[in-house]
Amino acid sequence: MKLIELSNYTLPPTGTGNGLKKFYFALSKGDMCHIQADSPDDAHLFLRAVAMLEYSKFCDYRFAGKKINFSDHTNLLPYKKKMGYVTNDAAMISNMSIRENLLLMRYYFENSFSVDIDDNVKNLCNVFEIYDKLDVRPGDLRPTELRSAIMVREFTKSPEILLLERPEDFARQTKFNFIVELVKKMSLSGVPVIFISYNADFIREFSNKEIIIAKGNLTTVKT
Amino acid sequence: MNQTAGYIGRRTLKSFKHILDLFAFNYRIFKLIFKRQKTGRVLIRRVILEQVYFTAVQALPLIIPVALILGSMLIIQFSRVSNQYDIGKTMVLLIIRELGPGITALLVILRSATSIAIETGYMKVFHEIDTIEMAGIDPIRMICLPRLIGITTAIICLFIIFDLVSILGGYTIIWIFTYINLGDFLGQMGKAIIPTDIIVGMVKALCFGIIITVTCLYRGFNVKKNITGLPLATSKAAIECFFYCLIINVVISIVFYM
Repeated sequence: MKLIELSNYTLPPTGTGNGLKKFYFALSKGDMCHIQADSPDDAHLFLRAVAMLEYSKFCDYRFAGKKINFSDHTNLLPYKKKMGYVTNDAAMISNMSIRENLLLMRYYFENSFSVDIDDNVKNLCNVFEIYDKLDVRPGDLRPTELRSAIMVREFTKSPEILLLERPEDFARQTKFNFIVELVKKMSLSGVPVIFISYNADFIREFSNKEIIIAKGNLTTVKT
Repeated sequence: MNQTAGYIGRRTLKSFKHILDLFAFNYRIFKLIFKRQKTGRVLIRRVILEQVYFTAVQALPLIIPVALILGSMLIIQFSRVSNQYDIGKTMVLLIIRELGPGITALLVILRSATSIAIETGYMKVFHEIDTIEMAGIDPIRMICLPRLIGITTAIICLFIIFDLVSILGGYTIIWIFTYINLGDFLGQMGKAIIPTDIIVGMVKALCFGIIITVTCLYRGFNVKKNITGLPLATSKAAIECFFYCLIINVVISIVFYM
Protein backbone atom coordinates (compact mmCIF):
# COMPACT_ATOMS: atom_id res chain seq x y z
CA MET A 1 0.00 0.00 0.00
CA LYS A 2 1.41 3.36 -1.06
CA LEU A 3 1.33 6.00 1.65
CA ILE A 4 1.51 8.87 -0.79
CA GLU A 5 1.31 9.10 -4.55
CA LEU A 6 1.99 12.22 -6.58
CA SER A 7 1.16 12.27 -10.28
CA ASN A 8 0.73 14.84 -13.04
CA TYR A 9 2.87 17.28 -11.13
CA THR A 10 4.47 20.11 -13.08
CA LEU A 11 5.95 22.90 -11.04
CA PRO A 12 7.52 26.14 -12.26
CA PRO A 13 11.18 26.82 -11.39
CA THR A 14 12.19 28.64 -8.23
CA GLY A 15 15.55 30.35 -7.73
CA THR A 16 18.18 28.83 -9.97
CA GLY A 17 16.31 25.56 -10.51
CA ASN A 18 14.65 24.12 -13.61
CA GLY A 19 11.33 23.41 -11.94
CA LEU A 20 9.79 19.96 -12.07
CA LYS A 21 8.41 18.47 -15.25
CA LYS A 22 5.40 16.15 -15.17
CA PHE A 23 6.39 13.35 -12.78
CA TYR A 24 5.06 10.42 -10.80
CA PHE A 25 6.27 9.60 -7.32
CA ALA A 26 5.11 7.06 -4.78
CA LEU A 27 6.21 6.53 -1.20
CA SER A 28 5.51 3.49 0.94
CA LYS A 29 6.09 2.75 4.61
CA GLY A 30 9.75 2.05 5.34
CA ASP A 31 11.03 3.98 2.29
CA MET A 32 14.13 6.04 2.96
CA CYS A 33 14.55 8.25 -0.09
CA HIS A 34 17.62 10.32 -0.75
CA ILE A 35 17.20 13.16 -3.23
CA GLN A 36 19.99 13.79 -5.66
CA ALA A 37 19.39 16.83 -7.85
CA ASP A 38 21.43 18.96 -10.23
CA SER A 39 19.90 21.99 -8.56
CA PRO A 40 19.30 22.28 -4.79
CA ASP A 41 16.27 24.48 -5.57
CA ASP A 42 14.61 21.61 -7.46
CA ALA A 43 15.26 19.21 -4.59
CA HIS A 44 13.75 21.73 -2.18
CA LEU A 45 10.80 22.28 -4.52
CA PHE A 46 10.15 18.55 -4.52
CA LEU A 47 10.11 18.47 -0.70
CA ARG A 48 7.63 21.37 -0.72
CA ALA A 49 5.47 19.47 -3.22
CA VAL A 50 5.43 16.40 -0.96
CA ALA A 51 4.53 18.68 1.96
CA MET A 52 1.61 20.07 -0.13
CA LEU A 53 3.10 23.56 0.07
CA GLU A 54 3.43 23.65 -3.72
CA TYR A 55 0.93 22.23 -6.16
CA SER A 56 -0.33 22.81 -9.65
CA LYS A 57 -3.78 23.02 -11.13
CA PHE A 58 -4.01 19.50 -12.56
CA CYS A 59 -1.87 17.62 -10.08
CA ASP A 60 -3.05 14.46 -8.39
CA TYR A 61 -2.01 13.77 -4.79
CA ARG A 62 -3.18 10.67 -2.96
CA PHE A 63 -2.59 10.18 0.73
CA ALA A 64 -3.20 6.57 1.83
CA GLY A 65 -5.17 6.09 -1.37
CA LYS A 66 -7.43 9.08 -0.78
CA LYS A 67 -7.34 11.82 -3.38
CA ILE A 68 -6.56 15.24 -1.95
CA ASN A 69 -8.81 18.09 -2.98
CA PHE A 70 -6.66 21.17 -3.43
CA SER A 71 -9.59 23.54 -3.99
CA ASP A 72 -9.69 24.52 -0.31
CA HIS A 73 -6.54 24.90 1.78
CA THR A 74 -8.32 23.58 4.88
CA ASN A 75 -8.63 20.15 3.20
CA LEU A 76 -4.85 19.85 3.29
CA LEU A 77 -4.36 20.66 6.97
CA PRO A 78 -5.06 17.17 8.42
CA TYR A 79 -2.43 15.71 6.05
CA LYS A 80 0.13 18.46 6.58
CA LYS A 81 -0.16 17.83 10.31
CA LYS A 82 1.09 14.30 9.73
CA MET A 83 4.35 15.43 8.16
CA GLY A 84 7.57 16.36 9.88
CA TYR A 85 9.01 19.22 7.86
CA VAL A 86 12.64 19.86 8.76
CA THR A 87 13.89 22.00 5.90
CA ASN A 88 15.75 25.24 5.31
CA ASP A 89 12.50 27.20 5.12
CA ALA A 90 10.94 25.65 8.22
CA ALA A 91 10.45 28.43 10.73
CA MET A 92 9.41 29.28 14.26
CA ILE A 93 6.65 31.80 14.87
CA SER A 94 8.53 34.90 15.86
CA ASN A 95 6.01 36.45 18.25
CA MET A 96 5.84 33.34 20.44
CA SER A 97 8.44 31.91 22.78
CA ILE A 98 10.23 28.66 21.94
CA ARG A 99 8.10 26.86 24.54
CA GLU A 100 4.90 28.20 22.96
CA ASN A 101 6.18 27.20 19.53
CA LEU A 102 6.85 23.66 20.73
CA LEU A 103 3.40 23.52 22.32
CA LEU A 104 1.49 25.28 19.55
CA MET A 105 -0.23 22.16 18.22
CA ARG A 106 -1.20 21.01 21.71
CA TYR A 107 -2.49 24.48 22.66
CA TYR A 108 -4.62 24.46 19.54
CA PHE A 109 -5.90 20.89 19.41
CA GLU A 110 -6.23 20.31 23.16
CA ASN A 111 -7.71 23.81 23.46
CA SER A 112 -5.85 24.59 26.67
CA PHE A 113 -2.94 26.67 27.89
CA SER A 114 -2.39 24.46 30.91
CA VAL A 115 -0.42 21.85 28.96
CA ASP A 116 3.34 21.72 29.35
CA ILE A 117 6.08 20.10 27.33
CA ASP A 118 6.41 16.38 28.00
CA ASP A 119 9.51 14.49 29.10
CA ASN A 120 10.49 13.39 25.62
CA VAL A 121 10.59 17.01 24.41
CA LYS A 122 12.43 18.07 27.57
CA ASN A 123 15.08 15.41 26.96
CA LEU A 124 15.58 16.47 23.37
CA CYS A 125 15.80 20.12 24.42
CA ASN A 126 18.47 19.13 26.92
CA VAL A 127 20.36 17.14 24.33
CA PHE A 128 20.40 20.03 21.88
CA GLU A 129 21.14 22.53 24.67
CA ILE A 130 18.06 24.70 24.21
CA TYR A 131 16.28 23.81 27.44
CA ASP A 132 17.34 27.01 29.23
CA LYS A 133 16.17 29.06 26.23
CA LEU A 134 12.61 27.80 26.11
CA ASP A 135 11.16 31.08 27.32
CA VAL A 136 12.87 33.38 24.87
CA ARG A 137 11.65 34.39 21.44
CA PRO A 138 13.15 32.75 18.33
CA GLY A 139 14.92 36.00 17.44
CA ASP A 140 17.07 35.68 20.57
CA LEU A 141 18.45 32.26 19.60
CA ARG A 142 21.57 31.54 17.60
CA PRO A 143 20.84 30.07 14.12
CA THR A 144 21.99 26.57 15.14
CA GLU A 145 19.84 26.66 18.29
CA LEU A 146 16.87 27.82 16.26
CA ARG A 147 17.30 24.94 13.79
CA SER A 148 17.63 22.50 16.67
CA ALA A 149 14.38 23.83 18.14
CA ILE A 150 12.65 23.39 14.77
CA MET A 151 13.94 19.83 14.60
CA VAL A 152 12.75 19.03 18.12
CA ARG A 153 9.31 20.40 17.27
CA GLU A 154 8.98 18.38 14.07
CA PHE A 155 10.38 15.11 15.44
CA THR A 156 8.16 15.21 18.48
CA LYS A 157 4.93 15.75 16.58
CA SER A 158 4.97 12.00 15.77
CA PRO A 159 4.98 12.41 12.00
CA GLU A 160 3.86 9.75 9.54
CA ILE A 161 6.28 11.08 6.93
CA LEU A 162 9.53 12.88 7.62
CA LEU A 163 10.99 15.41 5.20
CA LEU A 164 14.57 16.31 5.96
CA GLU A 165 16.75 18.87 4.23
CA ARG A 166 20.43 18.79 5.13
CA PRO A 167 20.02 17.36 8.64
CA GLU A 168 23.74 18.00 9.19
CA ASP A 169 22.90 21.74 9.34
CA PHE A 170 20.32 21.32 12.08
CA ALA A 171 22.67 20.73 14.98
CA ARG A 172 26.25 21.29 15.94
CA GLN A 173 28.77 18.76 14.63
CA THR A 174 29.02 17.12 18.05
CA LYS A 175 25.24 16.65 18.22
CA PHE A 176 24.76 15.20 14.75
CA ASN A 177 24.88 11.66 16.17
CA PHE A 178 21.66 12.38 18.06
CA ILE A 179 19.93 13.31 14.80
CA VAL A 180 21.17 10.07 13.27
CA GLU A 181 19.74 8.18 16.26
CA LEU A 182 16.39 9.96 15.91
CA VAL A 183 16.17 9.20 12.19
CA LYS A 184 17.14 5.58 12.92
CA LYS A 185 14.31 5.31 15.46
CA MET A 186 11.89 6.72 12.90
CA SER A 187 13.02 4.34 10.19
CA LEU A 188 12.74 1.35 12.54
CA SER A 189 9.16 2.31 13.31
CA GLY A 190 8.44 2.32 9.57
CA VAL A 191 8.11 6.09 9.11
CA PRO A 192 9.16 6.89 5.53
CA VAL A 193 11.81 9.59 5.22
CA ILE A 194 12.67 11.76 2.22
CA PHE A 195 15.93 13.58 2.70
CA ILE A 196 18.51 15.77 1.07
CA SER A 197 21.97 15.38 2.54
CA TYR A 198 25.59 15.93 1.59
CA ASN A 199 26.84 13.70 4.38
CA ALA A 200 28.04 10.48 2.68
CA ASP A 201 27.78 8.39 5.88
CA PHE A 202 24.22 9.53 6.50
CA ILE A 203 23.21 8.70 2.91
CA ARG A 204 24.92 5.30 3.07
CA GLU A 205 23.28 4.43 6.37
CA PHE A 206 19.73 5.36 5.49
CA SER A 207 19.09 5.53 1.76
CA ASN A 208 17.19 2.60 0.24
CA LYS A 209 15.75 4.58 -2.64
CA GLU A 210 17.29 7.31 -4.76
CA ILE A 211 15.27 10.18 -6.22
CA ILE A 212 17.17 11.69 -9.12
CA ILE A 213 16.16 15.10 -10.44
CA ALA A 214 18.05 16.06 -13.59
CA LYS A 215 17.01 19.10 -15.63
CA GLY A 216 13.59 18.99 -14.05
CA ASN A 217 12.98 15.29 -14.76
CA LEU A 218 12.36 13.12 -11.75
CA THR A 219 13.14 9.41 -11.63
CA THR A 220 13.21 6.99 -8.70
CA VAL A 221 15.79 4.22 -8.40
CA LYS A 222 16.00 1.48 -5.75
CA THR A 223 19.42 1.17 -4.14
CA MET B 1 -5.78 56.18 -28.46
CA ASN B 2 -6.12 52.39 -28.46
CA GLN B 3 -3.17 52.11 -26.09
CA THR B 4 -4.73 54.60 -23.66
CA ALA B 5 -8.10 52.86 -23.80
CA GLY B 6 -6.36 49.52 -23.28
CA TYR B 7 -4.44 50.88 -20.30
CA ILE B 8 -7.60 52.29 -18.70
CA GLY B 9 -9.42 49.03 -19.36
CA ARG B 10 -6.65 46.93 -17.81
CA ARG B 11 -6.45 49.19 -14.77
CA THR B 12 -10.22 49.06 -14.32
CA LEU B 13 -10.30 45.28 -14.57
CA LYS B 14 -7.37 45.01 -12.15
CA SER B 15 -9.08 47.27 -9.62
CA PHE B 16 -12.34 45.36 -10.02
CA LYS B 17 -10.54 42.05 -9.47
CA HIS B 18 -8.83 43.47 -6.39
CA ILE B 19 -12.16 44.53 -4.90
CA LEU B 20 -13.62 41.07 -5.62
CA ASP B 21 -10.56 39.44 -4.01
CA LEU B 22 -11.10 41.58 -0.90
CA PHE B 23 -14.74 40.51 -0.71
CA ALA B 24 -13.76 36.85 -1.18
CA PHE B 25 -11.12 37.14 1.55
CA ASN B 26 -13.66 38.84 3.80
CA TYR B 27 -16.13 36.02 3.13
CA ARG B 28 -13.51 33.40 4.04
CA ILE B 29 -12.87 35.07 7.39
CA PHE B 30 -16.55 35.63 8.16
CA LYS B 31 -17.36 32.02 7.31
CA LEU B 32 -15.08 31.00 10.18
CA ILE B 33 -17.07 33.08 12.68
CA PHE B 34 -20.21 31.08 11.92
CA LYS B 35 -18.39 27.71 11.75
CA ARG B 36 -17.86 27.84 15.53
CA GLN B 37 -15.05 25.29 15.62
CA LYS B 38 -14.19 24.08 19.10
CA THR B 39 -10.45 23.59 18.65
CA GLY B 40 -8.05 26.45 19.23
CA ARG B 41 -10.50 28.73 20.99
CA VAL B 42 -8.13 29.59 23.84
CA LEU B 43 -5.39 30.51 21.40
CA ILE B 44 -7.71 32.68 19.33
CA ARG B 45 -9.17 34.33 22.43
CA ARG B 46 -5.67 35.26 23.55
CA VAL B 47 -4.80 36.84 20.20
CA ILE B 48 -8.09 38.80 20.27
CA LEU B 49 -7.26 40.19 23.72
CA GLU B 50 -3.71 41.06 22.65
CA GLN B 51 -5.10 42.82 19.59
CA VAL B 52 -7.64 44.82 21.61
CA TYR B 53 -4.90 45.76 24.07
CA PHE B 54 -2.54 46.83 21.31
CA THR B 55 -5.10 48.67 19.20
CA ALA B 56 -7.32 50.22 21.87
CA VAL B 57 -5.59 50.38 25.25
CA GLN B 58 -2.13 51.30 23.99
CA ALA B 59 -3.65 53.90 21.66
CA LEU B 60 -5.38 55.79 24.47
CA PRO B 61 -2.43 58.14 25.22
CA LEU B 62 -2.63 59.16 21.57
CA ILE B 63 -6.35 59.33 20.98
CA ILE B 64 -7.28 61.21 24.18
CA PRO B 65 -5.12 64.30 23.50
CA VAL B 66 -6.14 64.28 19.82
CA ALA B 67 -9.83 64.14 20.79
CA LEU B 68 -9.40 66.91 23.40
CA ILE B 69 -7.58 69.19 20.99
CA LEU B 70 -9.99 68.55 18.12
CA GLY B 71 -13.08 68.97 20.30
CA SER B 72 -11.89 72.26 21.75
CA MET B 73 -10.63 73.63 18.42
CA LEU B 74 -13.94 72.89 16.73
CA ILE B 75 -15.88 74.60 19.48
CA ILE B 76 -13.67 77.69 19.33
CA GLN B 77 -14.18 78.03 15.58
CA PHE B 78 -17.88 77.20 15.49
CA SER B 79 -18.80 79.32 18.48
CA ARG B 80 -17.54 82.32 16.45
CA VAL B 81 -19.64 81.35 13.44
CA SER B 82 -22.78 80.42 15.29
CA ASN B 83 -22.30 83.02 18.02
CA GLN B 84 -22.66 80.40 20.76
CA TYR B 85 -26.01 79.37 19.40
CA ASP B 86 -26.59 75.65 18.86
CA ILE B 87 -23.08 74.66 19.94
CA GLY B 88 -24.36 71.31 21.20
CA LYS B 89 -25.93 70.60 17.81
CA THR B 90 -22.68 71.49 16.06
CA MET B 91 -20.79 69.09 18.30
CA VAL B 92 -23.21 66.28 17.47
CA LEU B 93 -23.09 66.99 13.75
CA LEU B 94 -19.35 67.19 13.55
CA ILE B 95 -18.01 64.82 16.13
CA ILE B 96 -20.48 62.00 16.56
CA ARG B 97 -21.57 61.80 12.95
CA GLU B 98 -18.39 62.48 11.01
CA LEU B 99 -15.15 63.22 12.82
CA GLY B 100 -15.37 60.59 15.56
CA PRO B 101 -15.36 57.51 13.36
CA GLY B 102 -13.14 59.18 10.75
CA ILE B 103 -10.34 60.30 13.06
CA THR B 104 -10.51 57.03 15.02
CA ALA B 105 -10.14 55.07 11.80
CA LEU B 106 -7.24 57.26 10.68
CA LEU B 107 -5.38 56.76 13.97
CA VAL B 108 -5.98 53.01 13.85
CA ILE B 109 -4.72 52.89 10.26
CA LEU B 110 -1.56 54.79 11.22
CA ARG B 111 -0.90 52.77 14.36
CA SER B 112 -2.29 49.26 14.05
CA ALA B 113 -3.26 48.57 10.46
CA THR B 114 0.23 49.17 9.12
CA SER B 115 1.67 46.91 11.81
CA ILE B 116 -0.76 44.13 10.83
CA ALA B 117 0.28 44.39 7.20
CA ILE B 118 3.94 44.26 8.26
CA GLU B 119 3.41 41.37 10.68
CA THR B 120 1.52 39.18 8.21
CA GLY B 121 3.87 40.10 5.37
CA TYR B 122 6.84 39.16 7.56
CA MET B 123 5.16 35.88 8.47
CA LYS B 124 4.59 35.14 4.79
CA VAL B 125 8.13 35.99 3.69
CA PHE B 126 9.78 34.01 6.48
CA HIS B 127 7.51 30.96 6.00
CA GLU B 128 5.80 31.30 9.39
CA ILE B 129 2.44 30.86 7.67
CA ASP B 130 3.72 27.60 6.14
CA THR B 131 4.78 26.58 9.65
CA ILE B 132 1.27 27.18 10.97
CA GLU B 133 -0.17 25.13 8.12
CA MET B 134 2.30 22.30 8.72
CA ALA B 135 1.03 22.20 12.30
CA GLY B 136 -2.42 21.47 10.87
CA ILE B 137 -3.75 24.88 11.88
CA ASP B 138 -5.68 27.11 9.51
CA PRO B 139 -3.68 30.37 9.28
CA ILE B 140 -6.82 32.32 8.40
CA ARG B 141 -8.42 31.15 11.63
CA MET B 142 -5.32 31.75 13.73
CA ILE B 143 -4.10 35.03 12.21
CA CYS B 144 -7.02 36.75 10.46
CA LEU B 145 -10.07 35.93 12.56
CA PRO B 146 -8.74 37.21 15.92
CA ARG B 147 -7.36 40.35 14.30
CA LEU B 148 -10.68 41.07 12.59
CA ILE B 149 -12.61 40.69 15.85
CA GLY B 150 -9.96 42.47 17.93
CA ILE B 151 -9.50 45.50 15.69
CA THR B 152 -13.20 45.96 15.01
CA THR B 153 -13.95 45.83 18.73
CA ALA B 154 -11.07 48.22 19.42
CA ILE B 155 -12.30 50.74 16.83
CA ILE B 156 -15.81 50.73 18.30
CA CYS B 157 -14.38 51.31 21.81
CA LEU B 158 -12.03 54.03 20.58
CA PHE B 159 -14.87 55.73 18.73
CA ILE B 160 -16.92 55.93 21.93
CA ILE B 161 -13.93 57.24 23.88
CA PHE B 162 -13.10 59.76 21.17
CA ASP B 163 -16.65 61.14 21.19
CA LEU B 164 -16.82 61.42 24.97
CA VAL B 165 -13.40 63.03 25.30
CA SER B 166 -13.88 65.51 22.46
CA ILE B 167 -17.25 66.57 23.87
CA LEU B 168 -15.56 66.97 27.25
CA GLY B 169 -12.76 69.00 25.60
CA GLY B 170 -15.35 71.12 23.85
CA TYR B 171 -17.19 71.76 27.08
CA THR B 172 -13.94 72.74 28.84
CA ILE B 173 -13.42 75.48 26.29
CA ILE B 174 -17.02 76.62 26.63
CA TRP B 175 -16.64 76.67 30.41
CA ILE B 176 -13.51 78.85 30.15
CA PHE B 177 -14.68 81.35 27.55
CA THR B 178 -18.46 81.51 27.83
CA TYR B 179 -21.20 81.48 30.42
CA ILE B 180 -23.02 78.41 29.11
CA ASN B 181 -23.32 75.89 31.93
CA LEU B 182 -22.89 72.14 31.57
CA GLY B 183 -26.62 71.52 31.91
CA ASP B 184 -27.47 73.85 29.01
CA PHE B 185 -24.69 72.40 26.87
CA LEU B 186 -25.76 68.83 27.51
CA GLY B 187 -29.39 69.86 27.03
CA GLN B 188 -28.55 71.28 23.61
CA MET B 189 -26.73 68.08 22.75
CA GLY B 190 -29.57 65.94 24.04
CA LYS B 191 -32.02 67.80 21.81
CA ALA B 192 -29.74 67.57 18.80
CA ILE B 193 -28.80 63.94 19.06
CA ILE B 194 -31.11 61.30 17.61
CA PRO B 195 -30.81 57.49 17.88
CA THR B 196 -29.73 57.40 14.23
CA ASP B 197 -26.58 59.36 15.13
CA ILE B 198 -25.50 56.70 17.59
CA ILE B 199 -26.38 53.88 15.17
CA VAL B 200 -24.56 55.60 12.29
CA GLY B 201 -21.45 56.09 14.41
CA MET B 202 -21.45 52.44 15.42
CA VAL B 203 -22.12 51.21 11.89
CA LYS B 204 -19.29 53.36 10.58
CA ALA B 205 -16.89 52.13 13.26
CA LEU B 206 -17.89 48.52 12.53
CA CYS B 207 -17.43 48.92 8.77
CA PHE B 208 -14.12 50.74 9.21
CA GLY B 209 -12.86 47.96 11.49
CA ILE B 210 -13.72 45.29 8.93
CA ILE B 211 -12.33 47.23 5.97
CA ILE B 212 -9.08 48.16 7.70
CA THR B 213 -8.38 44.65 8.97
CA VAL B 214 -9.31 42.81 5.79
CA THR B 215 -7.36 45.17 3.52
CA CYS B 216 -4.21 45.02 5.65
CA LEU B 217 -4.34 41.25 6.09
CA TYR B 218 -4.92 40.78 2.38
CA ARG B 219 -1.96 42.99 1.50
CA GLY B 220 0.20 41.21 4.08
CA PHE B 221 -0.76 37.75 2.79
CA ASN B 222 -0.01 38.84 -0.77
CA VAL B 223 3.60 39.77 -0.17
CA LYS B 224 5.68 37.54 -2.44
CA LYS B 225 8.78 35.75 -1.24
CA ASN B 226 10.78 38.95 -1.02
CA ILE B 227 11.25 41.21 1.97
CA THR B 228 11.44 44.29 -0.30
CA GLY B 229 7.76 43.79 -1.11
CA LEU B 230 6.88 44.48 2.50
CA PRO B 231 7.20 48.31 2.62
CA LEU B 232 5.31 48.57 -0.67
CA ALA B 233 2.49 46.35 0.61
CA THR B 234 2.31 48.33 3.86
CA SER B 235 2.05 51.71 2.16
CA LYS B 236 -0.53 50.35 -0.31
CA ALA B 237 -2.53 48.89 2.59
CA ALA B 238 -2.54 52.20 4.51
CA ILE B 239 -3.57 54.30 1.51
CA GLU B 240 -6.23 51.82 0.44
CA CYS B 241 -7.70 51.59 3.95
CA PHE B 242 -7.97 55.37 4.19
CA PHE B 243 -9.57 55.62 0.75
CA TYR B 244 -12.11 52.85 1.43
CA CYS B 245 -12.98 54.37 4.80
CA LEU B 246 -13.71 57.73 3.14
CA ILE B 247 -15.96 56.05 0.57
CA ILE B 248 -17.80 54.01 3.21
CA ASN B 249 -18.18 57.15 5.32
CA VAL B 250 -19.89 58.96 2.46
CA VAL B 251 -22.06 55.97 1.54
CA ILE B 252 -23.29 55.47 5.13
CA SER B 253 -23.97 59.20 5.56
CA ILE B 254 -25.98 59.22 2.33
CA VAL B 255 -27.94 56.10 3.31
CA PHE B 256 -28.88 57.41 6.75
CA TYR B 257 -29.23 61.16 6.28
CA MET B 258 -30.35 61.80 2.71
